[in-house]
Amino acid sequence: MQNKTNLNNQSVNGIKTNMIWHRRLGLSTFVVLIFLAISGFALNHSPGLKLNQISLSSNWLLSWYGLELPATEAFNLGESWIYQDGDKTLWVDGKSVAPCTAPLFAAAETADMLFALCADGLLLLTTEGQFVERFSTVDGLPANSSGLTVLDNRIYLTVGLIATEFNPSSFELTATDVAPETLTGSQKALLPLPKPLQKSLRQQSVGASISLETLILDLHSGRFFGQFGVLFVDLIGLLVCILSITGLATWIKRR
Amino acid sequence: MCNKLYRAALAVASAALIAITSLASFSVSAKGVFQSGPDFVAEVFAPQQAVAKVLWLTPEIRAQAAAIVDHPVRGLRIRYHQSESKSAWILEEIGKEMPITIGVVVEDNIIQQVKILAYRESRGGEVRYPAYTKQYLGAFLKDNYRLSQNIDGITGATLSVWAVNKVAALALYYHAQANQNTDAHSP
Repeated sequence: MQNKTNLNNQSVNGIKTNMIWHRRLGLSTFVVLIFLAISGFALNHSPGLKLNQISLSSNWLLSWYGLELPATEAFNLGESWIYQDGDKTLWVDGKSVAPCTAPLFAAAETADMLFALCADGLLLLTTEGQFVERFSTVDGLPANSSGLTVLDNRIYLTVGLIATEFNPSSFELTATDVAPETLTGSQKALLPLPKPLQKSLRQQSVGASISLETLILDLHSGRFFGQFGVLFVDLIGLLVCILSITGLATWIKRR
Repeated sequence: MCNKLYRAALAVASAALIAITSLASFSVSAKGVFQSGPDFVAEVFAPQQAVAKVLWLTPEIRAQAAAIVDHPVRGLRIRYHQSESKSAWILEEIGKEMPITIGVVVEDNIIQQVKILAYRESRGGEVRYPAYTKQYLGAFLKDNYRLSQNIDGITGATLSVWAVNKVAALALYYHAQANQNTDAHSP
């Protein structure tokens, strides 16, 4: 009889502990769960809601995503102005010419070509600003190349203190004796972009923007807040699993 | 009983965390540059050495290329390597948001190899696995500028699959043009 009473007490205590934890978990996750449910619903119906067509371009959001704001500086080569729109495009004298990931490190010109060194490759252009082709890291461009100089009609690329000569016909890189300091000193400097071109860029360029779909997806997955955000959403997922288990355990106990 | 349940819950939670961490590291490893262009070319033509050439994009070639990839083609010329009737093309096409760098080897107007050299999207990296890319072997360009054989898609990588399909067809078209185009020359 005494044993039976003890077992009953244990069972009641077990249910109470279960309920306490079930309640705690429920209370600590319900706000996030409601948000995840609503954002998941929105993502599931994204095409219908046209979320990918809604662009957000507030400055704080762009800087949170690490996107550059529209350019106000440019390289002046002869009569041409070369600049990057802060998104993924290279512009020459008010015309979009080729994809170019920010930042635009440098620009230079030889007698018959223009060159623009972007984060994702070296772009070769005609003197009229027409895009010819790209030399990227996959083609052999040294990673982290950030310097581009033309001396005596020869093209030099620099990575830190290492300089190489670039052949635009064969895409070959060869070692050079020219001191990196000389090349750095001769590199074209950024100048303020003329006001008419700034105005034209603002009018023509869609500029950097984030679609509402991307924002909701990143919030839903936690990526918006970086690695910690992802781990937080993972944790919520685990808590939901535990919530289900404690709920099930309480139900079984009560039967 | 209750303690046992909590232990079980903890075990499930730990197992799930490990699984999630493993999956996360797997998806990270699906991105990156897997092989450089020069290494790809050297591997394709070894032990011979291929000649570097360029194909100038005339308005006709540009128009047809744009029709194949379904968007305007940028650039005035395309670089490729050739040895006898075999050519290697390194082309880029955007999957969803980022460009995928794809190496295609064509011989006698038939695809000999497709290889993903760089993949930058966060999802869909399965297109780089040989089990997928071997589907392109033996494909040629039909009169309607589409691949001669059906390519099975991959769930969750639809846009990447489309991108590889377009590049494979484009490389076949460029190969055909380069071999009948007398303007193609060593740079």
